[in-house]
Amino acid sequence: MLFPTTHFLLFFLVVAALVAALEHRFTAKKAVLVGASYYFYAQWDWRFCFLLGCSTALSYGAGLIIGATADRSRRRLVLGIAVGLHLGLLGVFKYLDFFVLSANELARLLGLQHELPFLEILLPVGISFFTFHGISYLSDVYRGDVAVCRNPLDMALYMSFFPQLVAGPIVRAAYFLPQLARPSTEPVPIAPAMLLILGGLFKKVVIANYLATGLVDPVFAAPTSYGGPDLLLATYGYAVQIYCDFSAYSDIAIALAALLGFRFPANFNQPYRAQRLREFWQRWHISLSTWLRDYLYKPLGGNRGGRLKTYRNLLLTMLLGGLWHGAAWKFIAWGALHGGGLAVERMLEPWLGRRALSPTAKIVATVVVFHFVCLAWIFFRAEDFAVARLFISGMGNGWADGVQQAGPFVVALIAIGLAGQFTSDALFDRAAGAFERMPVWGLGAAAGIVVAVINALGPEGVAPFIYFRF
Amino acid sequence: MVAIERELVQPATAAISADAIPLKLRRTGGTPRQVLAIAVVGTIALAMFASRDLASWSERLGDGPAALAAQKIAADWDHAMERLGLVRPHEVLRDSLRRLLDWQWGAPP
Repeated sequence: MLFPTTHFLLFFLVVAALVAALEHRFTAKKAVLVGASYYFYAQWDWRFCFLLGCSTALSYGAGLIIGATADRSRRRLVLGIAVGLHLGLLGVFKYLDFFVLSANELARLLGLQHELPFLEILLPVGISFFTFHGISYLSDVYRGDVAVCRNPLDMALYMSFFPQLVAGPIVRAAYFLPQLARPSTEPVPIAPAMLLILGGLFKKVVIANYLATGLVDPVFAAPTSYGGPDLLLATYGYAVQIYCDFSAYSDIAIALAALLGFRFPANFNQPYRAQRLREFWQRWHISLSTWLRDYLYKPLGGNRGGRLKTYRNLLLTMLLGGLWHGAAWKFIAWGALHGGGLAVERMLEPWLGRRALSPTAKIVATVVVFHFVCLAWIFFRAEDFAVARLFISGMGNGWADGVQQAGPFVVALIAIGLAGQFTSDALFDRAAGAFERMPVWGLGAAAGIVVAVINALGPEGVAPFIYFRF
Repeated sequence: MVAIERELVQPATAAISADAIPLKLRRTGGTPRQVLAIAVVGTIALAMFASRDLASWSERLGDGPAALAAQKIAADWDHAMERLGLVRPHEVLRDSLRRLLDWQWGAPP
């Protein structure tokens, strides 16, 4: 069930009606939201619900055991087993065939005849996200950063809450569980939530979809058929497409949670305006980058063990961040590029300096960081290394022929997507203020008409969000 | 996992997460009932101006008795909206977008 569909709209209407009816019965509201989340998840494959249930039970049980004992070694043992089981589930469903493929390739290189069979297990949607939720909860309980969750309903809702279930943002236990302890006294921020939904729908249905079908997909499918201008525009196009696709999902998830009475953390903040690669990671998929920082980079030692260990930790963190995206060497290469880039940037810090940059230097820095990120996106998007190599080597050719695939409309979409990186927050605040002054019926009618316009502008049918496959 | 098992010298600080909707925009707002009212009004407005897609969506529901009933209602609704002239904006937008998609460099849109 995708957000921009009639099916989801009808589902949300039912959920909103139940939540409104249970406004003063918080436990019943949470139970309804758990039921709705499992129904939402079952729309992909009902068997996945058992996996989600097992992951929830594991987190809940292990959390209770860790909280019940003061013995440090026993706590550590339980944490290790529970995290190992979480990662084991993720490994079996997401990475087993990748390891089989790699083992078979290694065996072939060594001249061995025997090949391991592929299991071809169906990848459960969102498994990476709810696994990270479980690990985050257990690590926080172990460290004492969050109280043990003794209410199974709260744990079930934390692990399964449908707005973030399949593609994030990754919500920390310390952030979300306190919201389940008592009902919020804040008003529902309807105006900003509506704006996030409408903006998200436009980014996904219009910008991301047309960039994919009109430029990115055909050019990445056969890069040798196109010249340098199309390859370069397809790279920019993919940078805008993946941003619009993923940030749209996050925006809609944040808005749906807000309309149901819960807060979510920010996940994107105009990432392509970053002047440093480090800043890019403070603006892109913030919930993942902070997760990796707190549960991987810092436990590895962070920047506490000297320069060389810092570089190693950066590289290792980003390599595993790449692997989190999928079981393929191209994602590892993407992670290695970012990890290497972050390490080089750290190495150059004494020369780059920490002082404020001049306006020209800021522009140059933004352009350099954007193009480095685009280079890494080529590996991320290409089918494999061979295609990425053809793609990059083809960029120097065919400039005399001009563009063949990228028409003015898709170039305009790229420009709109990039221009959106430099708009002021005040614009959003003013639009939210204007929405707020409208009567309820007017806001509903305006939202309905804008969605109708976006629907008319979009293609027939909507492709799944890119991050569903991660 | 090794990394997570490895104990920190000092406990990490609690998750630092900025709210996606900042506090200044959360000070005013509505109630869950108003959310429901907006969703209902919005759905009706959408159904009026996107009745063509509603009809095509209902055709994908299958051929059970409930699906057939939904298809008939969606088709009747679409005819009613057509008589009111409400499908016209949808068609004009679709046609304009088709022209934009076909637009090539050096030619007028």
